[in-house]
Amino acid sequence: MDIQPLLQAVQDTSVATFIRESGSAFPMLESVHVIGIAIVYGTIAVVDLRLLGVTAHRRGALKLIQDLLPYTWVAFVTCVITGLLMFCANGTTYVQNTAFLFKMGLLMLAGINMAVFHLGAFRRIAEWDTTLPPPRQARVAGFSSLLLWAGVVFLGRWIAFL
Amino acid sequence: MSSSLIIAWIYASPLSTAIRDILWVIPTVQSIHIIAITVLFGSALISDLRLAGVFAGDEPLRGVVRRYYPWMRNALIVLLCTGLVMIIAEPDRVLVNSTFWLKMVLVVTAFGLTWLLRRPLLRPAGPADQDDASRPVKAFAWLSIGLWCVVIICGRWIAYTI
Repeated sequence: MDIQPLLQAVQDTSVATFIRESGSAFPMLESVHVIGIAIVYGTIAVVDLRLLGVTAHRRGALKLIQDLLPYTWVAFVTCVITGLLMFCANGTTYVQNTAFLFKMGLLMLAGINMAVFHLGAFRRIAEWDTTLPPPRQARVAGFSSLLLWAGVVFLGRWIAFL
Repeated sequence: MSSSLIIAWIYASPLSTAIRDILWVIPTVQSIHIIAITVLFGSALISDLRLAGVFAGDEPLRGVVRRYYPWMRNALIVLLCTGLVMIIAEPDRVLVNSTFWLKMVLVVTAFGLTWLLRRPLLRPAGPADQDDASRPVKAFAWLSIGLWCVVIICGRWIAYTI
């Protein structure tokens, strides 16, 4: 199936045209996207470091995750919305951009990594809530998450250079 | 020596030419810059929200501030270094850019505010220390979060303004 006609149709809508041509809409979306990224990675990194055994502002891992996760989610949704709007404006070229495609791939891997953690080590968090270092499964999840999300940020910046 | 001569001298220097000629340097340095933004803004958000009294209220203020301040300071150092590389690479785009200078003023203001709000808490605790921030401190904590957002927005707009 060829996705280009669909992307072209999206790109021709008035919203997409406005974002592409207004001059200030695109940089403003980018700015909000970066603020969102800063909160997503900033909060996730604190949790990931805790999973690796670096204590955060509280000792218990569960309460820390509960502290930060709402901020992570709100910021992530903000990134998805601003990202989709930017994608609408130039979808036909983004799908041919290698950095963009790899970024989407890494996002999926980061999601899978998070799901594995939540279905695995997180279910037994009561057993290791205040234990240092955390169990191996949690450490692996934290390490992978730090790397995967850093990769997402890198590839996002590289989109503009390919 | 006028500023345009300085800019021309930086631009023609072997270091500046090398950074531009090796194509992966600028996107990589910009990616590291964004990762450092996430560390700085994530840490600022968490500790400023604690100062403002809306986050982790059951944890001592001093402990939260002490946990995140070194990360903010170290991220700032990385940001200044990577920023300097970008200035050396394209002084003709950056040093004449009014958004860049606005950003620099805001960075100094935001970090100065960060330091002033945290300085009393980074010193050893006195016996009669209050744990909750005063009303003006809470307001300044919110202001600080806002300032960092404007700094990020300015950073993105440097690429779009002259």
